[in-house]
Amino acid sequence: MANVMEIYQLLPKTNCKECGKTTCMAFAVDLLGRKVKVDDCPPLVNEAKYKANYETLLEMFGSVKDVTETGLIVHNEKCIGCGNCVVACPVNVANDPFGAGSGKAPTSDKVIFKVEDGVVKARNVQECRRFGENKILCVACIDTCPTKAIEFV
Amino acid sequence: MTGEYYVCTGCALLCDDIEVETEDRKLSKVHAACLKGVARMKGCSDPLECTVDGEKADIDSAITKAAAILRNAKNPLIFGHGNSSSEAQKISIGLAKKTGAYIDDTSSFCQGPIVEAILQDKLRTCTLDDVRHKADVIIFWGADPSNSHPRHLSRYSYFPRGKERQRGWEEDRTAITIDIRKSSTAKICRDTRFYQIPMSADAEFMDAIVSGLSGKIPKTSFDFDKKRILELANVMKKAKFGVICVGLGLVYSLEELEPLFKLMEKLNEVSNFYLIPMVGQYNMRGFNQNLFAETGFINRVKFNSETGNANHGAENSVVEALKNKSVDAALIIGSDPLSSLPLSVARYLTEIPLITIDPCQNLTATRSTVTIPCALGGVEAGGTAVRMDGVEIELKKIVESDNLSDKEILTRIMEAI
Amino acid sequence: MGFGQFLAAPEIKLKIVTYRDVFQNTAQESSRFGEEYEKLSAVIKLDLKDISKLTIKEGDTVIVKNGFGKVVVKAQKSGYEEAHPGIAYMVNSPWSNVLVPDETGGSGVPKFKNFEVTVQGAKGEKVTGIRAL
Repeated sequence: MANVMEIYQLLPKTNCKECGKTTCMAFAVDLLGRKVKVDDCPPLVNEAKYKANYETLLEMFGSVKDVTETGLIVHNEKCIGCGNCVVACPVNVANDPFGAGSGKAPTSDKVIFKVEDGVVKARNVQECRRFGENKILCVACIDTCPTKAIEFV
Repeated sequence: MTGEYYVCTGCALLCDDIEVETEDRKLSKVHAACLKGVARMKGCSDPLECTVDGEKADIDSAITKAAAILRNAKNPLIFGHGNSSSEAQKISIGLAKKTGAYIDDTSSFCQGPIVEAILQDKLRTCTLDDVRHKADVIIFWGADPSNSHPRHLSRYSYFPRGKERQRGWEEDRTAITIDIRKSSTAKICRDTRFYQIPMSADAEFMDAIVSGLSGKIPKTSFDFDKKRILELANVMKKAKFGVICVGLGLVYSLEELEPLFKLMEKLNEVSNFYLIPMVGQYNMRGFNQNLFAETGFINRVKFNSETGNANHGAENSVVEALKNKSVDAALIIGSDPLSSLPLSVARYLTEIPLITIDPCQNLTATRSTVTIPCALGGVEAGGTAVRMDGVEIELKKIVESDNLSDKEILTRIMEAI
Repeated sequence: MGFGQFLAAPEIKLKIVTYRDVFQNTAQESSRFGEEYEKLSAVIKLDLKDISKLTIKEGDTVIVKNGFGKVVVKAQKSGYEEAHPGIAYMVNSPWSNVLVPDETGGSGVPKFKNFEVTVQGAKGEKVTGIRAL
């Protein structure tokens, strides 16, 4: 992942405040923390001269829609659909012991991970152990991924 | 979703928990299969056309021409079979017998020696279901299932819960990778469980493990950390149910299987170990078993056209037969030797009458006298296939196709000869 | 215009190990004649030291050849933590098979995962297309 300076260099650096932040640097910091989206910077989206930078940033941050409430991101382009996360996720095991927990296709609607068209899809993220009051830093899905396709931000 | 489970024919894991959605005789969505399985099941973007001498033809004239080529050949070669149902393979074997052909498959230059040793009871094997329920030590040797068989670890070998493996992989299972490079699979097995050895050093490393298992100091010419080999030997010794998943990296590195036999023998003296070949194509093992049942050999057979007797030997392998230019026509089924064999060997195919049966356009097809498109196995045609561990799996047809199955095409060629 | 074009590109001897890649395999299932398959197949993965010996940059094309054939493919960094000078990786493909020796000693099994080649910068020559192999 890029650092804040690299992101800043790709922004308009005009401190126009259209995004609601006081400076482009502040926007860069929030972008890195994924509190804002690339599209929240109007000049970047609308002005032709920033087109290349806009596209680079979009590539860096993937499609921000995919960031779930727990900060879970699946990098679709890296995922091989092996299902390691599907089977290793403790929540999947608990909610679907004879399907996902036993290595097979999930048979319950309560699973967090499910492979569709060869790529893993995250859902029911509120069930993730990183969420809620007693949250813990579970890494089962990250550690078992052979291509580092899963990330928490 | 149909609520019905189908089998993925993307590799010899033959995952049988696949749900699909269909639209207009195509799969619009595939559930639970891995990336390459989905690509297989959804079909290719450049289907094969029915042609004779490069011109579009109808199926009847293509079959007539194919039959004529085989009839006129003295020593035809029938090759492929890894992506065919067992039913098609059996007809292909009959066709080879009738035409006095060389018959071979991919196993001839990949997992053949291992499958042969298993069928001859020289290596102890088990099923993947046994692995899921029982295995506590899993060794990927020269194998990178994360690339070759993506669901191997999640369905069977590392992550799933099984009858005797209820506490999860962290506690219940130890996965070890032995390879010459840090593969994707090695990365998940963590650094302490990755043994990086030099090229072609597998036999020597096996001997070192045997020494370790025998309480001797494990020496290697490449000075591998003795402590680590002893650690490995110890983990293997303590295994309740160990399995070695043999990849192509290991098969290609061994000049002969003796070191592997010795290792397995020693392991079963002091521990409990099984072995499974990481077979690539979905029904390669089926071909090996079907030919074995018919002739006593798993591959590399030349039939005598008069007596029907099967001669077996390296000289009848697809590679040697092409190198020696001892074949005068070839029928290729579900395979692309011009892609998958050394070009220096396969190039000879372009000099002889060539027939390709495949769902998709490939390099061999572009050089063929006759090309006949067939239905995609496990999607457009049913049948049976044999998983890498020897378990027979039923394939169901999912969608209709205008193409005949390879079984039907081979039957019609046989009738026309 | 550099100076380099007037100098003979340095040539080095390497051992090739072939391997499987799930993305390349997926591309193959979709189309052997597609751009994606070429992009993921016609590649050689080199050690950093060998890249500098060749005086090329990552992404440049290189000529890989031996007594059995010749292909032009893209050079990439291998990305392995352990250095492996003298050894390069190619995904198992029609491009690697141009270079696999036909020598088998009568065994019927070519050395797909261990053979020698020479590599040299291709000075911008295009990657060999699958139909030109």
